[in-house]
Amino acid sequence: MKANVLCIPLLVSIALNLVQANVPDNERPRGVAPSRAKLYTPDSTGNWKCLDGSKTISSKSINDDFCDCPDGSDEPGTSACGNTYFYCENIGHLPAYIRTSRLNDGVCDPECCDGTDEFDGLTHCPNVCQEVGTEARKERERVRKIEKEGSKIKSKYIAYGKGAKKRLREQLQNLKTKTAQIEEKTAKAQAVLDELNAKRQEYLESSKAEREAARKIQLEPFIQQQKQMLAKAIEIKSKFRSTLDDLKENYNKNYHDLAVKATITGFDEYLEELKQEEADAAAQESKEADQDLTAIKLLTLAQTQTYDVKKEIGRMFQLIKSMKEGYNTEYNDEAVLKAIKVLDDFAPSWKDDQNEFVDEDDIEVPEEVIETPQLADSGKGVFDSIYGSIRKAAKSVGIGFLFKEPKSELEQAQETHRKTSDEQKKLKDEIAGVERKLETDYGKDEAFAQLVDQCFEYKEAEYTYSLCLFGEAHQKSNSDISLGKFSSWVGDNHDTQMYTGGLRCWNGPERSVKVTMSCGAVNEIVAVSEPSKCEYLLKFRTPAACRIISDSEVPEDPNVIPEAIMPGTVPEGAEKKKHDEL
Amino acid sequence: MDSISSRPSKSKKIILRSVIALGLALGCVSAVKREDFKTCAQSGFCTRNRAYADLAKETPNWTSPYQLTTSSLKLQNGVLTGDLINTQEDKHPSPRPGLSFELHLLDNDAVRVRINERDPVSPRYDGVQDTVLIKPYGLAKDSAYTRLDKDAAGALTIQYGAQDQNKIKVSSAPFKIEFFVNDVPTVVLNDEGLLRFERLRKKEEESKKEEGKEEEGKEESKLVDQDAAGDEVDIKVEKSPLELKLEENLWEERFKDHTDSKPRGPESIGLDITFSGINHVYGVPEHATSLSLKATKGAGAPYSEPYRLYNLDVFEYEIDNPMALYGSIPFMLGHSKNSTAAVFWMNAAETWVDVEKNAEDKDSGLLSWIKSKKAVSTPATKTHWISEAGVLDLFVFLGPTHRDIFRQYSSLVGTTALPQSFSIAYHQCRWNYNSQQDVAEVDAGFDEHDIPYDVLWLDIEHTDGKRYFTWDNAKFPNPTDMQQSLSAKGRKMVTIIDPHIKKDDNYHVSKEGAELDVYIKNKDGNTAFDGWCWPGSSQWIDFYNPKARDWWASQFSYDRYIGSTKSLFTWNDMNEPSVFNGPEITIPKDVIHYGNVEHRNVHNLYGTMFHSATAQGLTQRNETNQRPFVLSRAFFAGTQRFGAIWTGDNMASWEHLEIASPMLLTIGLSGLPFSGADVGGFFGNPDAELLTRWYQAGIYYPFFRAHAHIDSKRREPWLFGEPYTSQIREAVRTRYTFLPFWYTLFHEASVDGTPIIRPMFTEFPEDEAVFATDDQYMVGNALLVKPVSKAGVTRSTVYFAGDEKWFDIKDYSVEQGPGAKEIASPADKIPVYQRAGTIVPKRERPRRSSKAMENDPFTLVIALDSQGEATGRIYLDDGETFNYEQGDYILREFRASNGVLSSHNLKTGSVGKTSEFVQRIGALRIERLVILGSKTKLTKVTVGNGNVAEVECSKAPIGGSYVCTVKEPKVAIGEDFELSWV
Repeated sequence: MKANVLCIPLLVSIALNLVQANVPDNERPRGVAPSRAKLYTPDSTGNWKCLDGSKTISSKSINDDFCDCPDGSDEPGTSACGNTYFYCENIGHLPAYIRTSRLNDGVCDPECCDGTDEFDGLTHCPNVCQEVGTEARKERERVRKIEKEGSKIKSKYIAYGKGAKKRLREQLQNLKTKTAQIEEKTAKAQAVLDELNAKRQEYLESSKAEREAARKIQLEPFIQQQKQMLAKAIEIKSKFRSTLDDLKENYNKNYHDLAVKATITGFDEYLEELKQEEADAAAQESKEADQDLTAIKLLTLAQTQTYDVKKEIGRMFQLIKSMKEGYNTEYNDEAVLKAIKVLDDFAPSWKDDQNEFVDEDDIEVPEEVIETPQLADSGKGVFDSIYGSIRKAAKSVGIGFLFKEPKSELEQAQETHRKTSDEQKKLKDEIAGVERKLETDYGKDEAFAQLVDQCFEYKEAEYTYSLCLFGEAHQKSNSDISLGKFSSWVGDNHDTQMYTGGLRCWNGPERSVKVTMSCGAVNEIVAVSEPSKCEYLLKFRTPAACRIISDSEVPEDPNVIPEAIMPGTVPEGAEKKKHDEL
Repeated sequence: MDSISSRPSKSKKIILRSVIALGLALGCVSAVKREDFKTCAQSGFCTRNRAYADLAKETPNWTSPYQLTTSSLKLQNGVLTGDLINTQEDKHPSPRPGLSFELHLLDNDAVRVRINERDPVSPRYDGVQDTVLIKPYGLAKDSAYTRLDKDAAGALTIQYGAQDQNKIKVSSAPFKIEFFVNDVPTVVLNDEGLLRFERLRKKEEESKKEEGKEEEGKEESKLVDQDAAGDEVDIKVEKSPLELKLEENLWEERFKDHTDSKPRGPESIGLDITFSGINHVYGVPEHATSLSLKATKGAGAPYSEPYRLYNLDVFEYEIDNPMALYGSIPFMLGHSKNSTAAVFWMNAAETWVDVEKNAEDKDSGLLSWIKSKKAVSTPATKTHWISEAGVLDLFVFLGPTHRDIFRQYSSLVGTTALPQSFSIAYHQCRWNYNSQQDVAEVDAGFDEHDIPYDVLWLDIEHTDGKRYFTWDNAKFPNPTDMQQSLSAKGRKMVTIIDPHIKKDDNYHVSKEGAELDVYIKNKDGNTAFDGWCWPGSSQWIDFYNPKARDWWASQFSYDRYIGSTKSLFTWNDMNEPSVFNGPEITIPKDVIHYGNVEHRNVHNLYGTMFHSATAQGLTQRNETNQRPFVLSRAFFAGTQRFGAIWTGDNMASWEHLEIASPMLLTIGLSGLPFSGADVGGFFGNPDAELLTRWYQAGIYYPFFRAHAHIDSKRREPWLFGEPYTSQIREAVRTRYTFLPFWYTLFHEASVDGTPIIRPMFTEFPEDEAVFATDDQYMVGNALLVKPVSKAGVTRSTVYFAGDEKWFDIKDYSVEQGPGAKEIASPADKIPVYQRAGTIVPKRERPRRSSKAMENDPFTLVIALDSQGEATGRIYLDDGETFNYEQGDYILREFRASNGVLSSHNLKTGSVGKTSEFVQRIGALRIERLVILGSKTKLTKVTVGNGNVAEVECSKAPIGGSYVCTVKEPKVAIGEDFELSWV
């Protein structure tokens, strides 16, 4: 049995024509391709074994319109089994296989342009293979042209891509050299700064208690004032929060009011962000928790908190406001009306242009004046003191602006350090960028490198879709919505990319885009659809997805009809071809 | 609440808190907004009638005040008539006589009982019969019944029925009617004395009375009583809380922001119906509850609310709750080992039904069977029916068998219309298939993955701004081509058409509707009612207006519905009707229909009127005599005449998969067999396992459609990959192989009203173990189906009823009844068995659509019983036209007995010359016989004319018998034959 199976492909590949000659067409069972005809030769007793070897039946049972073999191999030319394939010769076009379940089903299947799939006389399918074949050849010619053109462009892409990686590696080397230099500079600046800071710190430490005492007296009223503002803001915030919680819980889902739905979505997004911020804040807080806060820290903390709370109020206010502008007044949804009432009650104290409510003006914190003693003996002491007294005099007569405050040594050191470390950071980012590019998979032979960060647009109805390859995808109409950032290729064929992590949908996932690549002479988006809500499918044509056609490659001869491969079988030579590709 | 308020405030607080906590807990488990929908306590007439029942219970020796005036009783031509008085209202000489009473003995052994006002201030609505009853029924001939002598108490007894098996005993004082079958009491009307008939009155009188009352103090009123000597005396009584409830919300009623103006005031009717000796009652769909109805009253009742019948659009409905849903059928069937009876409460107004059980038996299955063996108390189920308006009009069906009841009931309200054959195949739906391209891709997906399907559906987004009968031209530039490319493969398309019409002068339907004045009117009776639905501001067609129906039907002609073709059919949604800003998301009760009929009277019928007008439109749109196909969400008794229904917006959860079986069984036994639940669940995202299990269950729904919400992820059957795609393919193909069997069942249902999927108890009426069973059921009389509705389950307990064998439909393995057994239910199959003694016709060739199968040969699966016998039928027609009405069909019975299989013609009467169809289809061959249950290996099969066919049997017996396959017996499906085997 085993030996039998193994020898078949061998036999076929040696003497295909011979086999065909051995089994005349009129003996070949209907629906069997010439190359498989020999599989249907009965044994000497007139019996025949199902191709899966499961059963031996009389050869008369082949194509007798009754299913004997579990694999359907006894009925390649009838619908009795329905689970195997029928061979249409399609002379004038290309031969093809169709499922035997499609035989005599009243449908002229396009796969069988010769109409041989309908032979019971109930449905007449004309032979249209000449027309179809002509059209198909034309189409093949058109596609071949495009492929050829694409292939040429792709060759350039590959050249660029290979160079690109090289250039990037060089760039990386340069940047790394530069980094070494700048690191040295930074270290020096750091040393100076550290020394000065230490001295200053020493001074501040020694004067800390008295300064803080004075500062506390100075700031106490401001702190109280700010805390009151904060308390008030928190009160308003929680009112809005509970209003929206209530709305979310109780709004009437039956009404499908889009304005209300949008508000709930916005609120959900807000809650999501809040969760993240709270987690961050919790981490932060634990660091600062035990520190005894100075007066100024207390004040600035209260200010920041007030600012944050007001920002949240503003956001929730806008959510309800947009609902108020768009909701359906016919519905009388109690939860919605309640929320609007809260909004209306609050509205008079709202300042639209600042997106916050009006209360006392922000507190301006008086600066603490610290007379820092000279930190280092720079030898400029005399000049400084003269300059200092002139400046003082000028100030007293109102022309102090003519005289710049001299930068302290510390300030100078700080600036120097800032400059070098900024430069260092910039370099680091650049290196990360280059490294990321070096790590990105630009496809086989780096063919897609040329397209990095190139952007393409596509208009459909009121939307414009944009795709920056290896970057980000967007949907624009009134608003600009991120559909996701490049995350990876799908599979090993370099023909599908995923862009993920776009804006989260209401009641749904984060938006994402699947980009499928096919060969084209130019780069273009050819279709955008949204098969599932918020999961987009973008079809992209690019030379980068074309096959390289070498000049030596002989164009296919339209007179040579390739062998159709029966689905589920391995054609001879297929294994070898696969290896070649690898 | 009264009892709570009388307690010290401390305990009150505690109670309130626990109530709140309970509310919150419920809020977490369910998404339905319960507070959007009324409870009985929020409905005036329900409160009043329920309070009356409570009062009756609380009052020692309660006697119904209703009495028949004995002298007025007349029995003539099958009709008993008389005067019915309420001794509390009619005591004093009254300007109005009491109520009229009628009892009709029907020629199909059913009995109709009617109570109406003799001379109301304005006519009570009595039009439900005009649309629900199919034709005037025949009354029993004088010779068919006997009036027996009055008994000592003066009760009148009538004996009648085909075998004189029925007795009807009418008692006068108090009024009561008892029905006996073979002297066993089955149904009793007004046994508990809850009959209550609110007579119409003028508001002015009422307000005068109210004023008078004011003077005497709110909580007091005059009651008339009799002293010992029989003289009337006025006594002042403080009214109890229950008595006060009897007067609640008589003239105006508020719910949330809505006020029901109730211009005619109170006009409700209530009656108790007792099922004697019966522990299980079924019916009154639609509720997401068990098949055997749970009690709503009495000690330990699982529900506290009555079953509500009021067609409503309920978002994410809750399971195990008697809340109203999309459809209503006021039909109830009671069953015990000894008797079976049913009632049909013909009323289309809002209705509530309380159920109380004498011998409450919460256990089902075997346990209840064991218990019932030693049960001591006489079981009885007491039901209390309450409707807001109309007349009391009731049918009682006494069987004596289920089949008799289904036939009797359907002879009044109609049987299911024979559907086009494609419509019982697989339907693919989603809100929404977005474009013509999308449609083409989904269609190609089915072919690519070799999964058969027949119909592709388009939801509301296909229209131009929710204007029905239009297309979004950008997305569907060429709908005709689109339909033709589907129809080339034998496939159809369905588009959605709802009853709300966008208010828009540039929309032809809207404009014509206004010109023809066919919209439902506001309570003023003049201006068109305006509400909100999908398109925004909309108006609703008044399908009670005959002109509106005809006009609506005409919209479906090809020259009006541009872009429609012969292969386009219709889906009627939102027809409760759903009105987003209306009370309980529906239309106010005081809006006015044609003929000055208040909506209150006809609410539950509105969806059916719409459904019927649409079906009429599809029928008359062409001359090719095609049957219509229309799916509706709302339904009422009689809907079966117009098309299919589905169970509305369910959810992608295992619980919703599980509840689908009892819901569909209940709807089916209530006369509406063509129903299904959305496979996969409408809201949410099923995982691959749930979706697969739902397909495996869904192939045994009479209406088999997958559907999904717009916010859900795509779930076309191949999207979850292997092994799921293959499992779903196998399931869908299985449905297709059984299509001849399904179609035969539809024919049977269309003739005698038999359900298609059947509760176990209807096939095994004497096996008490199955009376409450609703997690497995029968398809016809032959297939036993047990859906898997729990995650991760690979073994299922199946109850095999009867003394015969059951054969697995896939591997023909054998189980022996009776008894429960654990059966493997691996991911690729659910337990489905063919019952011994049946013959099932199949077509086993895989095809891409049902149309593609129409010339395929047949397989008969013959499951022999222990006597070696089996029977089965096949019905075949062209599957498309009404030609079957002219006898253009094949109906045959197969019978296997003593090693002989024979085929007989069952067509009765003269059928004219044999048509082209009958000749062509009748000549199709039976390619295969599968014989199950043979104790010996068959060796030779001979056909009458001497032909010998090949036969091949399993090598060894399976479960004591062989599986034998006969190849090509060379007999045709439409011919008489005899075939013998040894």
